[in-house]
Amino acid sequence: MSFESANEVPPIIETHALTRDFKKTRAVDSLDLSIRPGELFGLVGPDGAGKTTTLRLLAGLLNITSGSAKVAGYDLARQPEAIKRKIGYMAQQFNLYGELSVLENLSFFADLYDVEVSELRERTERLLAFAGLTEFKDRRAAQLSGGMQKKLALACTLIHQPEILLLDEPTTGVDPISRREFWDILTDLNLAGTTIVVSTPYMDEADRCLRVGLMYEGRMVVCADPQQIRARIEGELIELRPDDWQAACALIETLPGVLEVQTYGNLLHVLVDSADKRLPEIETALRKHGLTYRGVRRVTPRMEEAFISLIRRLEVD
Amino acid sequence: MSFRHLRAVIRPEINHILRDRTTFVLVMLVPTAMLFIMAYALTVDIKHVPIAVLDYDRSPTSRAFIQQVTEGEDLDLYAQVDSLDDIDNLLTRGEIKAALIIAPDFEHDLLSLRGIPLQIIVDGTEPKSGGFAVDHIGGRAEEFISEALASRIRALNVNVSLDSLQPIDLRVRALYNPSLKPRVDIIPGLISMVLGFPALSVALTLAHEREHGTLEQVLVTPVGRAEFLLGKMIPYIIVGLANVIIMPAIARVTFHIPFNGSFPLFFLLSAVFLFAILSMGMLVGVFMPTQPAALALSFLVIFFPGFFMTGIFFPIASMPAEMRMEAMSLPGTHYATITRGVFLPGVGLDVLWPNVLALLGMGIVFTAVAALSFRKKLG
Repeated sequence: MSFESANEVPPIIETHALTRDFKKTRAVDSLDLSIRPGELFGLVGPDGAGKTTTLRLLAGLLNITSGSAKVAGYDLARQPEAIKRKIGYMAQQFNLYGELSVLENLSFFADLYDVEVSELRERTERLLAFAGLTEFKDRRAAQLSGGMQKKLALACTLIHQPEILLLDEPTTGVDPISRREFWDILTDLNLAGTTIVVSTPYMDEADRCLRVGLMYEGRMVVCADPQQIRARIEGELIELRPDDWQAACALIETLPGVLEVQTYGNLLHVLVDSADKRLPEIETALRKHGLTYRGVRRVTPRMEEAFISLIRRLEVD
Repeated sequence: MSFRHLRAVIRPEINHILRDRTTFVLVMLVPTAMLFIMAYALTVDIKHVPIAVLDYDRSPTSRAFIQQVTEGEDLDLYAQVDSLDDIDNLLTRGEIKAALIIAPDFEHDLLSLRGIPLQIIVDGTEPKSGGFAVDHIGGRAEEFISEALASRIRALNVNVSLDSLQPIDLRVRALYNPSLKPRVDIIPGLISMVLGFPALSVALTLAHEREHGTLEQVLVTPVGRAEFLLGKMIPYIIVGLANVIIMPAIARVTFHIPFNGSFPLFFLLSAVFLFAILSMGMLVGVFMPTQPAALALSFLVIFFPGFFMTGIFFPIASMPAEMRMEAMSLPGTHYATITRGVFLPGVGLDVLWPNVLALLGMGIVFTAVAALSFRKKLG
């Protein structure tokens, strides 16, 4: 995908050295971020990396310590209220008013965002259908399943048709099917032109973004499209399932040409300089030590391996 | 100020009060229950207080005096003792609440028209019963001694008026009133205290929204600060006014408190008080990050001074000057004046206007400080 032509469009979110300190920590450190209209931008990083703080800053919920930012053409420090009409923000623990019904929750936000009364009915029905909540519209929010609550929360943040959506881990704690449905909705919205910035702990979700920013200790350490991030993995990847993964892991780490070993339960992912050359060597070494294994194969690196590898390198520095 | 925003904020709060049983009980039933409990507990009649008597005189007059003091249901003669040590013992073990000591020359002094030394020892850990014993013994002693003196004066045939002897301070008797009278002025005062509960609810609801994450979601909307705060307050003003109807009814029916003033005026002034006290609760809710913190601070600034400093139980006139100033800056003080004034003498605005102005001023100041301190930010 080429962005050369798109680069001429002014960014819809732009930050310069955006910094936010809490009492003892610098949660966001000199963040430079430029997001174009219509992008689907993923924020990833370990817990405590500053993803939530970044999204709260962009939503105008926190004061900036230093630096500057423009969102939807408005200055974040001076015009936060103007920005609020342009964005939809969904907090990590989005909590609806549990005693209100689905419909009442929607009209609560419609009132606060001054949605035209003439448009309200049509818009509500469309959002309910969109979120698959039409038949539950009179149910109290507290009695919805976790996945449905997230969809209702999303519908509430969409009621004023925001240009930008800021979503903080919207699918955490949701079952895989609801998660997939939720992302299908996000993709549709993005295709319809909404700019989306979403933080996620799930690497398969990061893979669905146009661009991914990896945060670590308050800084944006990598910002690229998923292919580029995968390409940053050095070497090639071998997967195998040893019966004694701890012994196998210890052994493989000592072999020549092995860059990194990642464990996923008893599944080992081994990064090597050349898969063709090292795969037979690993098999020989394991047999020599009497370690049995199954399903050895060469695989293409995913976001997950790239993420872990990048974070490990950062932790070593 | 957008009416639509205001209505939007009010609606979930009303729903919360009506649909959440805990909140409903807290704001609708607890004030009434508190009124009942406190009204009964604070005005209970004291009877059968056990006392001991140490009679050094052992004369017919002292025996008659003891007889008269312990007559009736008020004081019970628990023991006649022989030494101060015995009194000490009984007091320590809690078997008596007070002791009366009659001096060796009781009869002699009385007959020669001299001052009569009477000593009463009281268990200071229970000042209520002790004070009651003092008042009662004083009252009885006064009756007995006046009578004895009068007959002695007649017998001696001297020209002395009884009044000039002033055997015992008459004020004791004048102040003491064992009937239900105290309730008459305590209950209207109590109403001003229990109406602090809606204020607590406001503080708690703000802290709850902050803890629960609903506040974060509201802060990203274009809702105004004043719209949000007023919207949170109005439902509890309505709830408070429901209590304002229920409680005078209870006061009249259950406790037979006369309501001599105008009810519409009382209702209106109650609304002004609710505005003042709820804005105080709002201030607590704006600054406290969690519900336990909001609860603790509410007790410290609303209920505790409401109990001790608003003149319901302890007269403001007897407070030191600084405390009096503090008392005058509490909404409860002014509302207690209003409730008593409207209930008992049935006075109107011509008398109560300074209190009404004070309440309005406090409400406006507290709301303004709350609105200015409330930032549409987290942390």
